[in-house]
Amino acid sequence: DETAFGEGVEPVDLEVRAHVYSLVTALGGFNGEDADKYVLGDDALACLRDIKRWLRLYDQKNNRMDVARCLGEANVINGDLLPILAVWSENERKSKHLFRIAMACLELLVPLTWPLEIHGETTVNHHRHIPYLQQAQVSYKRRFLSRSSLDLLRTIIRIGLPSMAIPRSERTGRDEGILRIMLYFFRNVAVITPNARLAAEGEEEETSRSATINAFQDQDVFALLLTMCSNISDDFNMFDVIILETLFHIVKGVNVDKLFMDDSQRTAKRTDELDGLLRKEESLRKEYAKGAPTRHGRFGTMIWVKRDDAKVSTVSGQNVLKDGQTTLHKMDQSKKWNKPQPRRRQDHPSIKNDFSTPVHLNSEASENLRKFVEEFLDSGFNPLFTNIRKAIEREADRVLDENSLHYFYTVAWFLEAERTRRFRKRQRRSQDGKPAKETEPDSFGLVASVLNQETFVFLNRSMQWSFDNKDWEGLNAEMRCFTQILLTVQEMALSPLDEDQEIAENTQNRIFYEGTTHDRMAAIMHRYKDQGFGYLDACTELCHVFLRMLERYSKENADMQVKAKRRTRRKNKQAEATGDENNEEDHASEEEDHAEAERVSKERKFDFRKFEQKFCTQACVDTFVSFTKFYGELTEEQLKRAHRYFYRVAFKNEKSVLLFRVDIINLFYRMIKGPGAMDSSQPIFREWEELVRQIIRRLMKKLEQRPALFVELLFSKINSTASYLEYGHERQTVSTA
Amino acid sequence: NGSGLGLGLDEEVKIIKKRQPVAKLDETKLLSQAGIPKLRFKAQRKLHFKGKGHEFSDAARLLNFYQLWLDDLFPRAKFADGLAMIEKLGHSKRLRTMRREWIEEERPKTQSAD
Repeated sequence: DETAFGEGVEPVDLEVRAHVYSLVTALGGFNGEDADKYVLGDDALACLRDIKRWLRLYDQKNNRMDVARCLGEANVINGDLLPILAVWSENERKSKHLFRIAMACLELLVPLTWPLEIHGETTVNHHRHIPYLQQAQVSYKRRFLSRSSLDLLRTIIRIGLPSMAIPRSERTGRDEGILRIMLYFFRNVAVITPNARLAAEGEEEETSRSATINAFQDQDVFALLLTMCSNISDDFNMFDVIILETLFHIVKGVNVDKLFMDDSQRTAKRTDELDGLLRKEESLRKEYAKGAPTRHGRFGTMIWVKRDDAKVSTVSGQNVLKDGQTTLHKMDQSKKWNKPQPRRRQDHPSIKNDFSTPVHLNSEASENLRKFVEEFLDSGFNPLFTNIRKAIEREADRVLDENSLHYFYTVAWFLEAERTRRFRKRQRRSQDGKPAKETEPDSFGLVASVLNQETFVFLNRSMQWSFDNKDWEGLNAEMRCFTQILLTVQEMALSPLDEDQEIAENTQNRIFYEGTTHDRMAAIMHRYKDQGFGYLDACTELCHVFLRMLERYSKENADMQVKAKRRTRRKNKQAEATGDENNEEDHASEEEDHAEAERVSKERKFDFRKFEQKFCTQACVDTFVSFTKFYGELTEEQLKRAHRYFYRVAFKNEKSVLLFRVDIINLFYRMIKGPGAMDSSQPIFREWEELVRQIIRRLMKKLEQRPALFVELLFSKINSTASYLEYGHERQTVSTA
Repeated sequence: NGSGLGLGLDEEVKIIKKRQPVAKLDETKLLSQAGIPKLRFKAQRKLHFKGKGHEFSDAARLLNFYQLWLDDLFPRAKFADGLAMIEKLGHSKRLRTMRREWIEEERPKTQSAD
C-alpha cells in the first residue's frame, strides 16, 4: 500500500523497518505441516526483549513512533503475540521459560495499546503516525475481545495471579511490576475507541463499550477489579489510580437511569423514546406541510410587504401568503450574510476523557454492568475512593493531573447509581405490596466515604482551582460531583434511620455554612462563555439543585448562620490614605495585615432573599438563556430546570426586567409558537406556555407604563436604571425584615 | 527615441481601486435618525397592543416591529445577528449615557427631584 502515499515518501526510516521486521520474523511462525500450530522461534524470548528495547530506546528516547508503526504494519500483535500467549495458556504454566515469554508478550502489548493523544510535545512525526496507529489499536482491540480465539483477557489475568496471591509485604518489585502492567493492559483496552474522524473499518459493534463490558464480565476482569478494590488499602495500595482510570473509561457517558431499569422497563422506555422521536418527526413534517406550497415549484407567487414611508419589500413563494409571521420569517431567512462567528477554541482537552457524550449499551451489557456496579457499591466503593482521595491530596507520584477529573466524575456517577438503585428497590417493594417496615432500611454507609468533611474540603479546593485556572473539563466533573453529593444528602435526610438523618443534618450544615461556596456558585454562573453544552448542563443543574436545597434548608432552620468574609473596606481606605507616606517595608507588612484581616471571617445570619439576588443578574440569566436555546434537544427535566429559574427571576424576585430583551422574548416566542416550537403534547409545554404568557403580559404592561423600555428592550440593563424600569423608582435600601 | 528622457512619462500609471467600504452597524449608525430616534418615535405611535388574552399575537407584533426596524437600519444582517450586534454596542460608554438620558427624559420631574 506504500504507493498510495506517493512514491518516494517513506514514513519510516528504511533501516529501522528492516531491523524491526527481521526481529518480528524471527519470533516464530505457523508450521508448514501443522498449519494451526504456532511454533516459537529458537530465540523468541530474546527477540521479544529486543523489540521492547527498540520501542524504548528508539521510539521513547527520540520521541518518535516509527517502531510502533512498523510493528503495526508487521501485524505483530495479531500474528505473533496472541498466538504465543495461546501456546502458553495451553501448556498451562508448565515451564518457566514459557512464562517468561508470555510475560514479555504482555510487556509489548501494553506500550502498543497505550492511549495516543496529540498533546503539546508532538512532532510532525506524531501527526504522521497517530491516525494509522489509532486504526491499528482498534483492530487490536477487536481481536482482544473476539470470542472466537483464546480468552485473552483471562489469560492475562492468569499471568498476574501468582503475584497477586503473594501478600504485599513479601511481594518483590517484579511482582508489583507484573500487576501494574496487567492492570494497565485492561485500562488500555477500556480506553481504545474508534476515532470518530477516521473511517471505521469492520463492525463497530465489535469494539463498542458493550463489547468491552461483556468481555470484562465473561473473562473475569470485573471480578479481578472487585477483589482488588475491596482489598485496596491492604494489598493493592499502589494500583488504585489505574483501577480508577479503568472504571472511569467503563462508566463514562453511561446513562445511570437506563442502566437500572429491568428489561421490560428498558424496552418500554425505548418504545417511549421511539414514540417521542416519531412524534417529533411527525410534528416537523406537519409544520412543514402547513407552510408547504400547494402547487408546483414554478407557480411563481410574489407578494409585497408594505412598509412605512411607502416602501415595499418583495417576497416570493406562495407559502408566504399564509400569514405575516411566515412572510417576515422568510424575509429574514433569505438574507445571505451571517455575522462572523468567533473562532472556536482549538485547545479541546482530550477526547479520551470526554464524558459528556452519551453511550448506548445493549441489554446484555447493561445487565453485566449493573451487576458489577452493585457489587462494587457493596464492597469496593468506600475503600477505593478513600484511598484515591488520600493519594491525590498527598500528591503521590503515581497520580497524574487528569486523575482528579476521573475521581470526581466516577464518584458522581456511582453516587447517582446508588440513589437510582435505592429508588428502584423501593419501587419494587411497593409493587410487591410489602409494607416498608418489614424490610430493614438500608443505610447510606455504603457511600459514606465521599460524604465526609475531608472530601468537601478537597472538592471545594479543586473547584476553586479549576475555576481560577480555567480548567473547564475538570470543573465540569467537580460540579457534577457536587450536585450528586447534594442530592444524596438530601435523600439521606429523608431516611428512616436516625443515624442517617443526623449525618445528613450535619453535612448540610457544613455545606451551607461556608460563605465562600455560595460566592463561588454565583461566580461560576456569571462566567459562562462558550464552554460547551456538557458544561452548561452541569452548571445549570448544580445551580438549580443548590438554590432549591438552600432555600428549603434555610426555611427549616430559621436562624441559620453563615461564615462570611468580614468586610475590610474601611480599613483599606485608611491604608490608602496613609500608605503613601510610609516606606516600602511598612507598606508590605501593612498589606499582610490586611490580608490577615480579610482572612478573618465572621458569622452572620443567613438571608436567602439576599443570596438569591446574586443569581438574579443579567449574566446568570444569559447563562440560562444559552442553555434554553437548546430547547429542541433538552429533556423534560432540563426544561423544567430552566423554567423554574426564569420563574424565580421574573416572579419570585420581581426582576422580570432582566428578561425584557428582544432576543430573549424572541426565543421564548419561538419556543411556543414556532417555527421550530416545542412539542405541544408534552406536559412541560403547558408550563412553559403559561410562563411565557405571563412574562409577555408583564412586558406589555411595563411598555405602557414606561415607554423608555422600547429602547432598553434592545440592551442588557444597566444596574442603575434597572430598578426604575422594574419598580418605577430607585431601589430603596434593602430591608432584611 | 526622443520622448523617453527617463522622466517616466511613458510608464503606465497604476490605479489601485479601493474597495467599497462595507456598511457597518456601529454607534453612529445606531444613533442616527434611522436608528434609535426612529424607534422611539415609531414605537409609541404605531404599536398598539390588545392586552390580556392576546399575549402571543402582541408579542408577534412587537417582534415584527423590531425586525422591520432593524431591516431598515441595517438590511444585511439577519434579525438575531443584528440584535446581538446592537446588544454589544449597548455596553459602550456613549450609548450608556444616551440610554440613561432617554430614561431620565421620561421620568416625572417630581421623582427625579427627590
